Amino acid sequence: MVEVKIDPTTRIEGHHGMELQVEDGQIAEAKSTMKMFRGAEIITVGRSPRDAAQLTGKVCGVCFICHRIGSSRATEDAAINAGAFDGIPEHAKILRDAVEGIFFLWNHAIHLFALVGPDYSDAVADTGFDRLDPLEGDGYQGALENQRKLMQALAEFGGRAPHPLAFVPGGVATNPDVSTVQTVKSRVREVSNWLGPTDAVPDVLENVQNGEFDPELGEGLHDVVSILVAAAREGAADLGSGPNRYYSNGLFREPESGERIFKRGVYRDGSFEPMTKDEIVAAISEDTEYSYYTEESAGKPTEAQPPEPEPEKDGAYSWGKAPRFDGETMEVGPLARLTISGYDPFDLRANLGGGFDESNTLNRLIARAQEVLIVRDRVLDLLDAFDPNEPLMADFPDNYTGKGVGLWEPSRGTLSHYVDVEDGEIERYQIITPTLWNIGPRDGEGNPSIIEGAIVGDEVADIENPINVMRTIRSFDPCLACSVHVDSPEGSYETELKPASPGGMTDVGSD
Amino acid sequence: MSAGAVISRHTGEIAQALQQATDGPVEVAWLQGQSCSGCTISLLQGQYPTLEETLSEFRMELTFHPTLMAEHGEAAIESMSKSPDILVLEGSVPTEIPSAATLGETPDGTSKPLVDWIDELAPEAEYVVGVGNCAAFGGWPAAENKNHLHDVGENVTGAKGLQFEQRYQPGVLGPNFTAGSGLPVINLGGCPPHPDYILLTIATVLNGHEPDLDRYQRPKPFYEPLVHDNCKWRGYFDRGEFADKPGEEGCLYQVGCAGPYTNCDDQTRLWNDGTSVCLNVGAPCIGCMEPGFWDRFQPLDKSVERQNIFGVDVETAGLAAVGAGVVGIGAHAGRKAMGYGKSEQGGNGGQSDAADAELTADVDEQPDAEAGDDKSV
Repeated sequence: MVEVKIDPTTRIEGHHGMELQVEDGQIAEAKSTMKMFRGAEIITVGRSPRDAAQLTGKVCGVCFICHRIGSSRATEDAAINAGAFDGIPEHAKILRDAVEGIFFLWNHAIHLFALVGPDYSDAVADTGFDRLDPLEGDGYQGALENQRKLMQALAEFGGRAPHPLAFVPGGVATNPDVSTVQTVKSRVREVSNWLGPTDAVPDVLENVQNGEFDPELGEGLHDVVSILVAAAREGAADLGSGPNRYYSNGLFREPESGERIFKRGVYRDGSFEPMTKDEIVAAISEDTEYSYYTEESAGKPTEAQPPEPEPEKDGAYSWGKAPRFDGETMEVGPLARLTISGYDPFDLRANLGGGFDESNTLNRLIARAQEVLIVRDRVLDLLDAFDPNEPLMADFPDNYTGKGVGLWEPSRGTLSHYVDVEDGEIERYQIITPTLWNIGPRDGEGNPSIIEGAIVGDEVADIENPINVMRTIRSFDPCLACSVHVDSPEGSYETELKPASPGGMTDVGSD
Repeated sequence: MSAGAVISRHTGEIAQALQQATDGPVEVAWLQGQSCSGCTISLLQGQYPTLEETLSEFRMELTFHPTLMAEHGEAAIESMSKSPDILVLEGSVPTEIPSAATLGETPDGTSKPLVDWIDELAPEAEYVVGVGNCAAFGGWPAAENKNHLHDVGENVTGAKGLQFEQRYQPGVLGPNFTAGSGLPVINLGGCPPHPDYILLTIATVLNGHEPDLDRYQRPKPFYEPLVHDNCKWRGYFDRGEFADKPGEEGCLYQVGCAGPYTNCDDQTRLWNDGTSVCLNVGAPCIGCMEPGFWDRFQPLDKSVERQNIFGVDVETAGLAAVGAGVVGIGAHAGRKAMGYGKSEQGGNGGQSDAADAELTADVDEQPDAEAGDDKSV
């Protein structure tokens, strides 16, 4: 048995590490460790519900819009349950969906090109492309230029990005005019044109497989598809297998029908189960057996106290809690959303990834790429439906007593905020993040989290260069970098993995 | 001067600094404490130079940045300069629960607390820069545990900035700390700071210039202008036309705007390549550039006269009259009472002697015996 320690894992929001036990070239056990605690839920208690969105919105500087909206929805729900609020204006809902959609495009572009892409740069180069060199490649630079346009679009409504302040309980505190909306649309269209037409995917797939490039069909599309083809050739479909259990809060309502484009519910045992908000909330609990929190901090998020730190706790190894759905782990994120909603555009997951509902490292990448195309069209529809002259803010009450839950669906997966308000003051607050579902610790029953389970069984051909482990970790979009500190009974080894560059050797050193 | 002109004026300076970082022996180490990565994401939205240029130069040449660098983990820690020309911190430092932010391992195999890294590296650095409100002043992780939950203090993890805890010294480093250059920690308040603040400050010191700092150790060119003076709603304030809720037409003072108490030039510089800024879209300023943000302006949605700012009861200072809609002269009387009067006489950029004296009291309030070199671990 060899112990492999990955610490620190850089390029992630917060601090994270991974410990692996490797036996006969296979991973026998994995522990995922979250290495930071700030106490956001504790700090939120005792404050105005309106300040909760401001404070918890700053939990993450990467997912900066998502927490603001999730928190706003929780406090709005509490006010509605108290009979003190009628809900936010219709066009505020549309605008929240639209900005979340723009955020999806931004996040996925950064992830596919800047974080996951470099893992496959060598393999992409083998297909004849040199566009994904992490520093010099035209594809890489094009993606970075386009992500900036998306951030500018977000700033048109939010005032700035990151950490825009305009998303608050009661709606959206912004006063855009028609020309603002046109500016946003034109920025999204520019990005859309760089990406290319959705219906070109089959031709682009063929191009990439033949080592050909046709800018008329979309530069971005060629780049994204080349990553997928390279990942497939590298065997990513056989890595990082999850339990094929998925959970999504749903997102993007049709302005006309109110139906969600991405459905709400779970997928398990091979079928989709639509669920109401109450059913979802009733199914969720958190476990703290292996977390640096007291036992009293476990339980239903609607009832449990804000997490109480116990940094010296025996056996604990993570500052994350272990959320469970009916006692089971659930994978969240793009693959969960698309499987639940029955989407597999151009059968990419069915053909390349071993099945549209198969949880593996390749399908997580494919789903993210497919979602870019679905959401790109969705954002433009939502912006067309959005009328900036309609009210965007409702009067939000100062004083009420009630409990509320805010379910939301950021790019990385499900997010939920839980709040109890007493006489206009927050009495209790809980947050369950997407990353917690995917990369939290094991529970009291010994059940590993999604990522801990997905890595077990995978082969480590070269213990000093566990590149496939890194590819799997990154496929969840926790933005981990690939740095490894290897400990073995014989001694300590250190391994350095640089982002691959076309034509270059992956730099591996040890001592 | 337009925002674009302000920025382009400095483009050459940044380019020169990056060139120096690339060509010369300049070493920069960027650590993350209790951070949200928002300051890094802000940095990546910088336009002059572009994200690509920044990524490229920083990845290739800076010795440590968890998000941008090529090396990782143990190799990254080895490559990190242990006597950097510039030590940058993003995020606060937990001192009561040191394990609440760690980086790498100690020789005995346990996680190494960030506070130990700061203790080690700061005295060896030529310049130390706190990027963002958390690293500078403690930020929101240092906000009060209002209901005294659990067996933790008012500051849940003991989160501090490098040289300040909220508006007071000391932070992790003592009040008398100076880096090799002789300068104290350079603080870049903001949640997050504008990317230009980060890049231009780094460029300034890389180019061998000494930044002119205010009493909270922030570079004056960025942190002297008063948000209120450059706000697009300023005319509404002077006419006493106030919005009832965020997003409405009118001055946002009554719904919690901290603009009259917040110093930064974002109103003219604008964000995301001159696209917009918080107040322009109807979002009240929450004072994120200021020491003491979060609790100092909390609750954020209440008009500021209900709050106790700078230790002055603003009701008696005249601002209540402004809040009630008395226009023009009331506003200026209020500002003078708050200590801003001198700026109108071309004084020290918006902070009068009265404000100076009051703020000095903040900084010097805690005796050295208590402040000392206490690193609170």
